[in-house]
Amino acid sequence: MRRLALFVSLAFLIIGLVGGSTFAKTQKTLIVAVGAPPRTMNPHGSDADCNLGVMSNIFEGLLHRDTAGKLGPGLATSWKRIDDLTWRFILRKGVKFHNGNDFTWEDVKFSLKRLKKPYPVSEFLAFGGIIDSVKTVNGDPWTIDIKTPIPVPYFVQNLHQIFIMDKESTEARSIGEVGKYPIGTGPYKFVEWVKGAYLKLTANENYWGKVPPIKNVEFKPITEPSTRIAALATGEVDILQDIPVELFDTVAANSDLEIVTRPARRAIYLGLGNKPGSPTNNVKVRKAMYMAINEDEIIEKVMFGHAFPASQIPDPPTTGYNSEIKRLPYDPKRVKELLAEAGYPDGFKIKLTGPNDRYVRDEQICEAVASQLAKFGIEVELDTKPKAIFFPEVDEHILDFYLIGWFDGSCDFGRSFTKLLHSVDVEKGYGGLNGSAYSDVVLDKLLEASAEIIKPDLRAKALRLLNEVAMEEKIAAIPLHYQEDSYAVYKGRGIKFTPRADTWICFEDISFEK
Amino acid sequence: MESLAPCLLIMLAYIIRRLIQGIAVLLAVSVICFAIFQFMGDPVLTLAGRYATQKQQEEVRKTLGLDKPLYIQYFIFLKNALHGNFGMSYVTHIPVLGLIFERLPASIELAITAMIISLSLGIILGVVSSLNPNSIPSRIVMTGSLFGISLPTFLIGILLIMIFAVALRLLPPFGRGEVIKVAGTWRTGFLTSNGFSHLILPAFTLGMYQLAVILRLTRGGMMEVLREDYIRTAWAKGLSRMIVVFKHALRNALIPVITIAGLQFGELIAFSTVTETIFQWPGAGNLLLTSIYETDHPVIIAYVMITSFIILSLNILVDTLYVFINPKIRYGKHD
Repeated sequence: MRRLALFVSLAFLIIGLVGGSTFAKTQKTLIVAVGAPPRTMNPHGSDADCNLGVMSNIFEGLLHRDTAGKLGPGLATSWKRIDDLTWRFILRKGVKFHNGNDFTWEDVKFSLKRLKKPYPVSEFLAFGGIIDSVKTVNGDPWTIDIKTPIPVPYFVQNLHQIFIMDKESTEARSIGEVGKYPIGTGPYKFVEWVKGAYLKLTANENYWGKVPPIKNVEFKPITEPSTRIAALATGEVDILQDIPVELFDTVAANSDLEIVTRPARRAIYLGLGNKPGSPTNNVKVRKAMYMAINEDEIIEKVMFGHAFPASQIPDPPTTGYNSEIKRLPYDPKRVKELLAEAGYPDGFKIKLTGPNDRYVRDEQICEAVASQLAKFGIEVELDTKPKAIFFPEVDEHILDFYLIGWFDGSCDFGRSFTKLLHSVDVEKGYGGLNGSAYSDVVLDKLLEASAEIIKPDLRAKALRLLNEVAMEEKIAAIPLHYQEDSYAVYKGRGIKFTPRADTWICFEDISFEK
Repeated sequence: MESLAPCLLIMLAYIIRRLIQGIAVLLAVSVICFAIFQFMGDPVLTLAGRYATQKQQEEVRKTLGLDKPLYIQYFIFLKNALHGNFGMSYVTHIPVLGLIFERLPASIELAITAMIISLSLGIILGVVSSLNPNSIPSRIVMTGSLFGISLPTFLIGILLIMIFAVALRLLPPFGRGEVIKVAGTWRTGFLTSNGFSHLILPAFTLGMYQLAVILRLTRGGMMEVLREDYIRTAWAKGLSRMIVVFKHALRNALIPVITIAGLQFGELIAFSTVTETIFQWPGAGNLLLTSIYETDHPVIIAYVMITSFIILSLNILVDTLYVFINPKIRYGKHD
């Protein structure tokens, strides 16, 4: 008995040591550690960027966005708006799916139709709902017209993330199979996926574009932040997405690692209700609350410097972003005056709700806001909770004051506005994420007017105006900051990596320096 | 002296009673699961997509059957579960049983390794420290075991990663390494040195608490047994130290240890969630956590039911086996 036990423990020790010395990587596979694991391999099964970014290696949309976020050709070589409701696309010839099937207009029709299926397929129901028909033009199978039931000015802005699937193999297989073994046209082919462990891809040698320089690549989800850092520090992974802000200094101090950052597209802001009779119905109170928040202090103390002050919800690439809007300054004296003018010299009580597992330091930001407002007598009851509970409350529009983050994948403030700040209208599907049922007739009218403008530059002007009125005059929300996208790269392997605006990891853009 | 037949009958009755209790427990677990889902967040919100209108959300809710009253949802679940059908994952659209069974091998291998480590080290250290309870090494071991019991798993895991992976670079910090497919969906990490090296840190993390418990149990039992008359007789007979300690003393001290170990094996499989998360171990515990984040109810309930089933079965098995280990135990109402 004793001998056996001794043997077992010795064996463990020896194998451990031997095994340990051989775990260093030998082949040139590029490994990226991501914080959020892809949920499914069904390209329409998740509209989260962590999923879309992974899918974009295997699948392609009709259009494509480059690293800076600029829209360009993809499976369609060109596109134009024919009239209010019609968009025309010229399809790319000679493209093959990974299973050898040819890419045709039937695949486009099939994929777009697939978006409409509520379950078990699509998280793009809203987009599926604005596709009326897909038809060829004059019998030419390489020219198609897509019609929408209502004018949708941002229609093409979304087409880089609507991935085209192979009709034949998708119909022939069960939904479970399709969601496990993806077949696309993209620069990388699927090799193997163990959910929560890894996703292996290999370069598509028959790719219609430039065959990517790195042959074998791998996504490894590591949800626990300290493990993610440890994996990078030991050279087990090459690139790491999302450095936890509280571990930033540790990573910076490691000379093996290089940090790459860029301002994130996502803005964090505070939503504020304006129900009649509530203190926040008074725009003076809203202004006072805005000016009572010391955003510089939040960025420095809570975000450890890794955020950028925001004066509005959209970010610069978004249509409707207005560079003339400035943040209201932190001004204690003015706050007191405004509160007194509004009839609340001694402040009031309000509940601040927020998620505690969604955004970078979300709970801590709420705490900071509460203590900053407390200085002016505004007594904030904190109510932070997991996102799984928080978002349903947003959906029910029952909050008074809440922290939320947003960026628009289709780069359109009009679209964001209908979702975030438009009066709740169940019929039209407006105000879905308007957690406090904020409602302002003037803003709603401005938005509706903008939707009817077809000329892109005129519409952009209208959206900039809408943004300005919402932020400066109405204080429809209190913007806080844009987050920072951060990556750490293991030096010494000569990896050339430029982060993308949409946080997607597209391996075709990454290369080893020779 | 009792004849064998009534004894067996009593035992059979006992087993049946335990089985009925077990079914009641499983039912209770499923009801609690369903109740908790009501507070876990609405899966429809994510499944319909960020831009979905309320109308589209309702459509999804209807397709999923989530618009029905709760008790009807529950009976549908129960009916399907009795047919061995736990439904499809909301997220991956794969039957959940397949999803869980695909992940279980990783968890079971981790649990077995953790068990081997905690049993072997626990018993060896327990015996050694019981022989000279006041020596300095024994005291170090006993103090160390206090850490094993009181330090939370995530802290142990992170400490081990920092020491053995980051500082010493002896072992890999996460994942399962190379695995080989042996049968069906069973992938094993036992057969490659790379896979094995990935096992060590998580197995130690998972087994640390067990190790400490087993060590303390062994030590306590040994110290008690070593004082018994028959051990004194054995010493007096001039038997070798090895034989006295391992053959006569340890064998008797081990009964409670084996019982506890058997019971806790189920827990090692079921509660490895924390360890699996820290080490990004692709096991069932990790799947559970991911599914909670994704509000993937069918996976969560199936996982909870399966692990409850494993733990219950092990409990019943251990209790039943008792009679063979220790004939003094009788099953029946008259004891």
